[in-house]
Amino acid sequence: MISVKKNNIEGWLFVSPLVIWISLIILVPIYIAFELSLFNVKIIGTSGKFVGIDNYIKLFGKSKFLNASLNSLYWIIGNAICQTFFAFTIALTINYKFPGKKIMANWIILSFIIPTVVVVVIWKLMLSSSSGVINSVLIDIGLLDEATGFFSSPNKAFISLVLINSWRWSPFLALIILSGLNSINREMYDASKVDGANFVQQFLFITFPNLKSVLFVLGLVGTLLSFNIFDIIWLITKGGPSSATTTLPLLIYETAFTKFRISQAATLSIVTSFLLLLFSIIFIKSMAPKEDD
Amino acid sequence: MIKENNIKLIFLSLSLLLIILIFFFPFFWIITSSFKSPEEIIATSTTIIPRSFTLEHYNKILFNSDFFIYLKNSLIVSFSSMIISIILSVSAAYGLHKLKFYGNKFVEYSLLVTYAFPGVILLVPIYLLFAKVNLLNSYFALIVVNVLFATPFAVWMLKAFFKLIPNEIEEAAYIDGASRYIVISRIIVPLAAPGIASVAIFCFIISWTEYLFASILISGDDLKTLPVGLAGIVGQYQIDWGFLLSGAVLASLPVILLFVFIGKYFVSGLTEGAVK
Repeated sequence: MISVKKNNIEGWLFVSPLVIWISLIILVPIYIAFELSLFNVKIIGTSGKFVGIDNYIKLFGKSKFLNASLNSLYWIIGNAICQTFFAFTIALTINYKFPGKKIMANWIILSFIIPTVVVVVIWKLMLSSSSGVINSVLIDIGLLDEATGFFSSPNKAFISLVLINSWRWSPFLALIILSGLNSINREMYDASKVDGANFVQQFLFITFPNLKSVLFVLGLVGTLLSFNIFDIIWLITKGGPSSATTTLPLLIYETAFTKFRISQAATLSIVTSFLLLLFSIIFIKSMAPKEDD
Repeated sequence: MIKENNIKLIFLSLSLLLIILIFFFPFFWIITSSFKSPEEIIATSTTIIPRSFTLEHYNKILFNSDFFIYLKNSLIVSFSSMIISIILSVSAAYGLHKLKFYGNKFVEYSLLVTYAFPGVILLVPIYLLFAKVNLLNSYFALIVVNVLFATPFAVWMLKAFFKLIPNEIEEAAYIDGASRYIVISRIIVPLAAPGIASVAIFCFIISWTEYLFASILISGDDLKTLPVGLAGIVGQYQIDWGFLLSGAVLASLPVILLFVFIGKYFVSGLTEGAVK
């Protein structure tokens, strides 16, 4: 009917507008950044002298770079743990029948559809040390003696930010997990019940393996998305206290727009892109589920 | 059997309670707080049930601030981004999932990677590029970026919907002599309508909530979007909480309204598509 060859040309025709749009907006800027990373430009618009790979060599000797890379790593791990926990709790709960299930399934995603700035406003108010509701509840139930500043010490600030970011993203991830749960054949559960499988066994041997392709996408996209988070951290702690919450995105932003070292920022962007690309390739090569259709 | 059911019931109730407390209570809190008097908002003894009621914060933000300028900018940018994203992603998804062409897996995975790729890494380079071609301080700059953020995932979302459309329908139409254009406009688009609706709302949300690029690419006050305007208040040394909270509620209202009408498509688009 439709020859394979025709499909090839037409297929590319249909994807090309998007592919061209995306490539232009990613590849041209990356090229500009690469060029810049070989020069010594400070303020945007000024010219600098050619320094070759000097910026790259200097970068790896900087403790700031090491610190931000480690923070990014902790950030990704922390978020992965929290979001997996919250997202599975939500998805498995909504997967049950209970009154109000539809409303909850529709509106659980509220934290994802509002602007990030609003997320920041919500948690800045709720976690405020002087008048925050969390502090006063924790004091009322006896968990705290006096109000604590959730963003005042490095560890507390980091953990609070991970929790806030997970609060924003988990419901969205939960719905994607739910889509995987919905595609699992109900009969498998019934059959396993006849065989005497309990709740935990069902989860481990039916639910989890059947979520593979969904979890693959979440693992890849989720990791990259977590890595990219900027606004929540920037608007709450600005990377502090004492750089404890400065992840690589914040370091790039700071270097470019508050310290005005544009070539250094470009170098950072290139190195980071390379690291993420490497991660993606390894992840896809090793985890991509086999297509069975 | 009965015992296991009881345990399940306890778990279900506990997790429901936890979900409501963690994911819904904060909204109750900022909405009610936005109607509280300034003194009550910052009082050390917090009250779950508000003691005061005032509209002064809303009065101030609606009639004494640039709210409507920011709202207009956000609406223009978000709607334009949404429409361009829909056209590009429906076309790409059709090509990817209905016409299996050579290299489609590569394009599919590359799109997934680019979905997460942009962000701050591209910030400096894109800023420089737009400065070169004189696109800074324009709606178009933000639209270009938003489409980049929204489309890759949109294509992935559409996959499930396109897979649900049996190939036989299309083939039957071709036998009857229908052209590709007719097939797409009369068969594919109507059948994938719920999917397109969910993609539309996703693209709108992505554009509506975007802060980072809007804060860097736009410097003129008359072109700022709502998130940037709000962030300006967050950054002030002495935060006017009432003002900020009413602004936060109003900035969320348009997406929430949109969600009231087509949110169920978005959620079912995410959850009921046979993702394989």
